[in-house]
Amino acid sequence: MRSFWTVMAKEFLSFLRSWGLVAVVLYSFTLDVYIAGQGIEVKPRNVRVGYVIEGGGVLPQKILSHLHAPEFQKPKWFASQKELQKAIFNKEILVGLIFGHDFEKNIDSHKGAKLDVLLDATAASQAYITLVYLQNTLLRLENIHIPLKLKIHKLFNQNADSHMFISFAEMLSVITMIGIILTAAVFVKEKEDGTWDIMLLMPVDSRLVILAKAASQIAIVMGGILICVGFVLLGVFHVPINGSFLAFMLLSLLYAFTIAGIGLFIAAASHTIMEVAQLSVLIMMPLIFLSGAWTPIYSMHPILQKLSVISPLRYYIEGSESIFFRGTGWSDLYPYFMGVSVLGILTFWYGYRKIGRLF
Amino acid sequence: MRTSVIKAYMQKEFKDLVRTKMIYLVYLLPTMILLLFGYGIRLEVTGARTIIIDQDQSRFSKELIDKCTHSKYFNTKVLLISPNEGLHRIKQAKTDILLIIPPHFEHDLLHGQKSELAAFIDGAFPLRATTMQGYVEGVILHAAKELAQRFGLKHPLITLNHRALFNQAMRDENAIVPGLIGLIMLVAPALLSALLIVKEKEMGTIFNFYASPVKKSEFLIAKLTPVFLLHSINIFILFLWATWWFGVPFRGSFGLYWITSELYLLISLSIGLLVSIITNRQIVAVVLTLIITIIPGFLYSGMLMPISSMVGESYIEAHIFPVMYYNHIVYDTFLIGQGLESMKNILYLAILAGYGTLLLIVGSLLLKKELG
Repeated sequence: MRSFWTVMAKEFLSFLRSWGLVAVVLYSFTLDVYIAGQGIEVKPRNVRVGYVIEGGGVLPQKILSHLHAPEFQKPKWFASQKELQKAIFNKEILVGLIFGHDFEKNIDSHKGAKLDVLLDATAASQAYITLVYLQNTLLRLENIHIPLKLKIHKLFNQNADSHMFISFAEMLSVITMIGIILTAAVFVKEKEDGTWDIMLLMPVDSRLVILAKAASQIAIVMGGILICVGFVLLGVFHVPINGSFLAFMLLSLLYAFTIAGIGLFIAAASHTIMEVAQLSVLIMMPLIFLSGAWTPIYSMHPILQKLSVISPLRYYIEGSESIFFRGTGWSDLYPYFMGVSVLGILTFWYGYRKIGRLF
Repeated sequence: MRTSVIKAYMQKEFKDLVRTKMIYLVYLLPTMILLLFGYGIRLEVTGARTIIIDQDQSRFSKELIDKCTHSKYFNTKVLLISPNEGLHRIKQAKTDILLIIPPHFEHDLLHGQKSELAAFIDGAFPLRATTMQGYVEGVILHAAKELAQRFGLKHPLITLNHRALFNQAMRDENAIVPGLIGLIMLVAPALLSALLIVKEKEMGTIFNFYASPVKKSEFLIAKLTPVFLLHSINIFILFLWATWWFGVPFRGSFGLYWITSELYLLISLSIGLLVSIITNRQIVAVVLTLIITIIPGFLYSGMLMPISSMVGESYIEAHIFPVMYYNHIVYDTFLIGQGLESMKNILYLAILAGYGTLLLIVGSLLLKKELG
């Protein structure tokens, strides 16, 4: 057991000594997550609207006055349809409204008017949501009382605050990336430096060496998670913890093991850090994109849906989301724990076997 | 500058890439990312798991349910459970939308009284939640309009006549795949070039360079050219995947796409080069490159959120990274097709050229041909 701790301490020391690596890992867990979370807001916010009024009247202005912050930026006036179109083509405007010549006249004479809307459909989801919003605005404006009301409750994240979510998703990706690369590099570095043989000659059980090396990197990742959750998620973005924090840390630990297993496998397969880099990207991307963070699993292609069962990140994301936002209790969390544990044991065992052959 | 030296050095670099089997990854990685992301990212939510609790069981409520079942956006189940049980299912992440039709729904409607439907949406994934909210509102709005007509209520005077430009069918592939090219061409070349110099530093072979009469400029050209040429082919490969496999229309000029991509490739290589020069260990270089390329390549690309809608900090950040300029031109060549007629495209092309030159100059200034 003493040799286990010694090997672990040696790995910590060499991690801390390379200040560049420490800086990069710290950056990933703090600033990087911050930048990602800060950067994006996916609901229709600050949508740039442009308009052309060919006729006159007060109604167009009245409609425009309903397009206000936070959903819309102040609508911008254009002299002609052509200019408006050009602005949309240059992606300066997302939604263009054209009030035609007889817009006001037709309404006054109760003939029914058409309002032309041009949408930049390269931003398909924003365009669609804006359209629904416009439709609702018009109905309200015309004072039509439809005796049917819809009350929408968004649970767990009432304002659909995407800062919280994206920073959170980014942290999970960082954990995956750092976990895989650090673990793999710890072994491959020995290969590259030629110290592998010295390691083999050490009077320490090879199993202990593998476990200690992996454990040291898992510990570093866990430290990163704590820093990230504490400073960025809770500190800056005020992510709520509706469930048990202990459950999250436990789930993270299991996930870190799974990831370390993948790292072991990569370490066994590659000879240089260059190969580690490319292989980890190759494995990481599918892992992240089968996890359901960016596309709901039920909307995926049926084959991908089946494949996503083997992405440990899927269980980790769902589980952590449930803990943080949904506030799910222990008893309902067991599928996630099961998923991560089973995959974790499998990958770790496989990676361990692979790297063990080299000893 | 001596061409024979460059040629010899280039041959050595090229052999290095082939021997370490990197050559496979140069072509495997971009294609794989494009296929995975192209299928993997869907902004549209189809088949959202919906539970409708019909407490009314009348003709109207059935009609409303019918509207939902016939939409591809919902995967509807009508259950007779209590609202609390439904909420619990959302909590267990077993369902996404819960729609409750209140008792006396039909009765209230027929008597002109207000009737309130309640929809509960799982907000744990905000983007998804907002999209689903849009769908639910759309369906209900449609139903409400029909009802209003049937009861002879005041007819809405203004009808929206919308035209979706550039992407008439609102296909997600068209909106995403061009943006992915911008992401891939930023990440993959940078990842390769990031290791070129730091590898020699860590192995100690950098001293060959220090001690030899090879000039700095020759060294850089010899290092970057093989990677540049190898990745240039990816510009065509990715184009083919996008148009032929994903069926994204291409409306602009291929020449513009090609030249812009080559420029962008140079920028990406220079980013990797800079990383390679300032770091001392390969592992640091790898992690640093991944982090400074993937995040902006994905989030600030205009793929998930239009640049025009960004405000404050994120608006500035988006303008710092090169991906925004490249993607603007790529989206233009694929979906819009203005080409060089638009001043903005020319401006962005110039910015890209300036960006690349600047990075290369900084890189060659930072590279020292002696022990630091």
